[in-house]
Amino acid sequence: MTLFERVFGGNDAVYGLTEAAVDAAIAANGEEKAVSFPDTAYALPCYYAVTGVKVTNLKEMKEALGVVKSLMTRENQLNDVFMSGVATALCAEFIEAIKYIDGAKPYDEPCYGHLSDAIIRELGVPLVTGDIPGVAVILGSAPTAQEGVDLVKSYQAQGILVTLVGGIIDQCQELGYKTGANVRVIPLGKDVTSVIHAVSVAIRAALIFGNVTAGDAGALMTYTKDRVPAFVNAFAPLDDVIVACGAGAIALGFPVITNDDKDVPAIPKSLIIQKDVSKFNATSLEARDIKIKITNIDIPVAFASAFEGEIIRRGDMQVEFDGSRVDCCELVQTKDASEVEDHKIELIGPDIDEFEVGSKHSIAYVVEVAGKSMQPDFEPVFERKFHSYLNCIEGVMHTGQRDMIRIRVSKEAFNAGFRAKHFGEVLYAQVKNEFEAVVDKCQVKIYTNPEDCTKIRHEIAIPVFDKRDERLSTMTDESVPVYYSCIMCQAFSPSHVCVVTPERLGLCGAVSWLDAKATNELDPNGPCQVITKEKVIDERIGEYEDVNEAVRKLSQGALDDVSLYSIMEKPMTSCGCFECICGIEPFSNGVCIANREYAGMTPLGMTFSELASMTGGGVQTPGFMGHGKHFIASKKFMKAEGGVARIVWMPKELKEQVAEKLNETAKELYGIDNFTDMIGDETIAEDPETLVAFLTEKGHPALGMDPMM
Amino acid sequence: MPFNRKPQKFNAAIKSVVIGSGDKTVTLGGENVLPFYAFDGEIKNGPKVGVEITDLGMEGEPESVKAYYEGAATMGEIAKKAAAMEGADFLCLRLAGGDPNGLNKSVEELIETVKEVADAVDVPLVVEGCKNVEKDSELLTKVAEVLQGRNVLVMSAREEDYKAVGAAAGLAYSQKVGAESAVDINLAKQLNVVMTQLGVNADSIVMNVGSAAVGYGYEYVVSTLDRIKAAALSQDDKMLQMPIITPIASETWNVKEAMATEEESPEWGSQEVRGISMEIQTAAASLASGSDAVILKHPQSVATISKMIQELM
Repeated sequence: MTLFERVFGGNDAVYGLTEAAVDAAIAANGEEKAVSFPDTAYALPCYYAVTGVKVTNLKEMKEALGVVKSLMTRENQLNDVFMSGVATALCAEFIEAIKYIDGAKPYDEPCYGHLSDAIIRELGVPLVTGDIPGVAVILGSAPTAQEGVDLVKSYQAQGILVTLVGGIIDQCQELGYKTGANVRVIPLGKDVTSVIHAVSVAIRAALIFGNVTAGDAGALMTYTKDRVPAFVNAFAPLDDVIVACGAGAIALGFPVITNDDKDVPAIPKSLIIQKDVSKFNATSLEARDIKIKITNIDIPVAFASAFEGEIIRRGDMQVEFDGSRVDCCELVQTKDASEVEDHKIELIGPDIDEFEVGSKHSIAYVVEVAGKSMQPDFEPVFERKFHSYLNCIEGVMHTGQRDMIRIRVSKEAFNAGFRAKHFGEVLYAQVKNEFEAVVDKCQVKIYTNPEDCTKIRHEIAIPVFDKRDERLSTMTDESVPVYYSCIMCQAFSPSHVCVVTPERLGLCGAVSWLDAKATNELDPNGPCQVITKEKVIDERIGEYEDVNEAVRKLSQGALDDVSLYSIMEKPMTSCGCFECICGIEPFSNGVCIANREYAGMTPLGMTFSELASMTGGGVQTPGFMGHGKHFIASKKFMKAEGGVARIVWMPKELKEQVAEKLNETAKELYGIDNFTDMIGDETIAEDPETLVAFLTEKGHPALGMDPMM
Repeated sequence: MPFNRKPQKFNAAIKSVVIGSGDKTVTLGGENVLPFYAFDGEIKNGPKVGVEITDLGMEGEPESVKAYYEGAATMGEIAKKAAAMEGADFLCLRLAGGDPNGLNKSVEELIETVKEVADAVDVPLVVEGCKNVEKDSELLTKVAEVLQGRNVLVMSAREEDYKAVGAAAGLAYSQKVGAESAVDINLAKQLNVVMTQLGVNADSIVMNVGSAAVGYGYEYVVSTLDRIKAAALSQDDKMLQMPIITPIASETWNVKEAMATEEESPEWGSQEVRGISMEIQTAAASLASGSDAVILKHPQSVATISKMIQELM
């Protein structure tokens, strides 16, 4: 039988039953008899939400049946299946409502039947906050009572609200499993039609919390699909009626997971066959995209930022992993969802207790993540946090990054039971919690065999690191589609806006284009927003209409326009966090750069702090500009004024830091070798006259350039 | 040269938010001119003044405040007296006793107080939590539930608990929601954005953008208020057009100028006068910078500030 036949058949059967039930009720009570569910302001909530009409008595219900019939189209399109599913659900609601005629109490302990508005308001808040991460509707009888209870228990442990329909209720009772609204396991009823009480919860949630107008079926289905994290677990055997109800669930966006593989065609993401009941939980969570918050990290020692600065001396150390002596590395890799089993922590090689006290070993840990919104560009962002994560473990010290890491585990932590897998537990929990927005699944592999570590370091990690560096160094402002704003510093510099581009990182030096991009994806309402750059005004100075618009908006109108590549015309503002300041040096036609660490005098007659006082505060000061250290060697540095050839002076220490890259840039732009040798520093000159004499002797290119002013 | 009046016109306005139910309601916001610029255009509702009481009753209150409430033994009676204060537009109940680091009263106990106060008065009501995020999530959710139908302002949802407070007050029980941030225009805006994404109606949000007593870094408050009003009016920034409410009493009565006794600082003069002065100065500055409502506690401050508002309108 096809899915169409099954759903239509089930739908027809339920419709027939409903019609008979309504007629029987009218025969017994008369047309005017009132029908309602107790304690709800929404009449028959499902029918009301879908049609906007409140059914109040049997006569109206009979009329409503006609409307339901009109949904039951038979065109063999998927939409017919869904609408027939909805029709089945509405029929079920009628049947259930009739049970409540005359204030009857059709459900006995432990079953709840209809749930009041008050319960929904109460459950709705934790649902909205994510404290209840999902709603499971379990239908039918599990293969064994124990399997059924285990499934219920697994959801309950995750904070998921569980509703039960049919045989599973008896199975819970059989094993004496506690149920009730207070433990968030709610048996609804034993007839399949009582599943409507779960649907009713989802629908009233949309009306109450989603501001959905009754009768707007489209908005209703969008809300339940996007905002109500419900799913159905239906046990074999599925009869046509259940299949038809399932179609209704799918129409609302709730996937159905079943262990019945006979006559049930799987529909990707909607109707999923999982023969192993013990995997229902994982399959359901993945299908409904439910993420469970980790509140407790399962390790035998404490985890807190208080331990971040803890030093472990050699004498207190149980074992050490030292990347400077043997092969070690830490790595994040993006994988396909099918390759990652959530929360799998694997130790490959000997554990810490097999090592001699005080000995030195290799370690490589690879955190594999999968997620619909995950991008390889986030990998280094996660990796950079590992240092802090592992340091927060009581009795563990971590230094360095990439393949230059060193980890020490204290004797005390070891004696408390700390083992290698606990690194995995911490990394898993922290990555999942902090990067929830992009990580759906995460697993950790920890290698402690020297051969494995060597292989991973040299064959996997180093090529990845090289590729990343390559990507960063070859990225240009022209090669990316958008830039990012950063207004992290507006708390104290209210009108400042950084425009972060691949070749011009934030002036604090801490926010590269990739960082800004990751910040934006992880926190879409946060300080970094996308800036398009489609409307060029002046390519020479790097001015764009869209950039100006963004700056105007983000500075609340304080700034009208900025250029990306000029220090003289509309220069970018500075907050106060700048790593360096460059300022115009009129005698040589060039600029001097001072870094924050440099406390001495510059040929401009001002120290760094004096320069800072006139450059910061979010104002444009032509001739002066704050910037990051990495920007010095950029081809976009003062591009409008002729580029790095304008640099005539830098403190010696800074010069040494940037020499290699700056020389490369100068060679490429002007064909000058060892350009930094032509740049003055404090050992050569602290006044303009001596500086110009030095520049003249060296033949510095700035002397021959057009005046900047 | 003759003087030419040039009114500054904005094509945007602050949203109007009504609190209270029945005959007794109060509307915050609604203006489309800068604070007190009545010469630029009509100011629809004018700033409002609230009177603060706490669940601690008269404990620890200055003598002159106690004198005003003399004879009021229960929270209900205190609430009635507060509501009757000259110049009061609304009542604010602050549940200070819920703070886990203080008295740590149970949610149930506090809710009893909330009910008692709400039953005693019919004036528009603002209920403030205890400022502890975890406690407030639970407490304010319950407050929103028991005051169903009263259309109260529940303060406050913050970055850490906006989901719980926003969902309960703004969605489940149709109250108004206070959105509290710490003196930063971007954080204020971000909170409004995420609250509306949660589903809370933008017209149901009142901002508390943070405050301080004058002389305690208050310049930041002025600059934040200024910039929010400017962005809301001149840039038509919809996510900053919510009216602003500023709790003043809770900021000014616990600073040194208000606390030091006359024995400790004889050169400063009367302690009571100082306390009232701090409250009035801070409130006046907040209103002049753009706050649409202030919450005060001393009868003299309430009377003075409400007179100031009337004279300036």
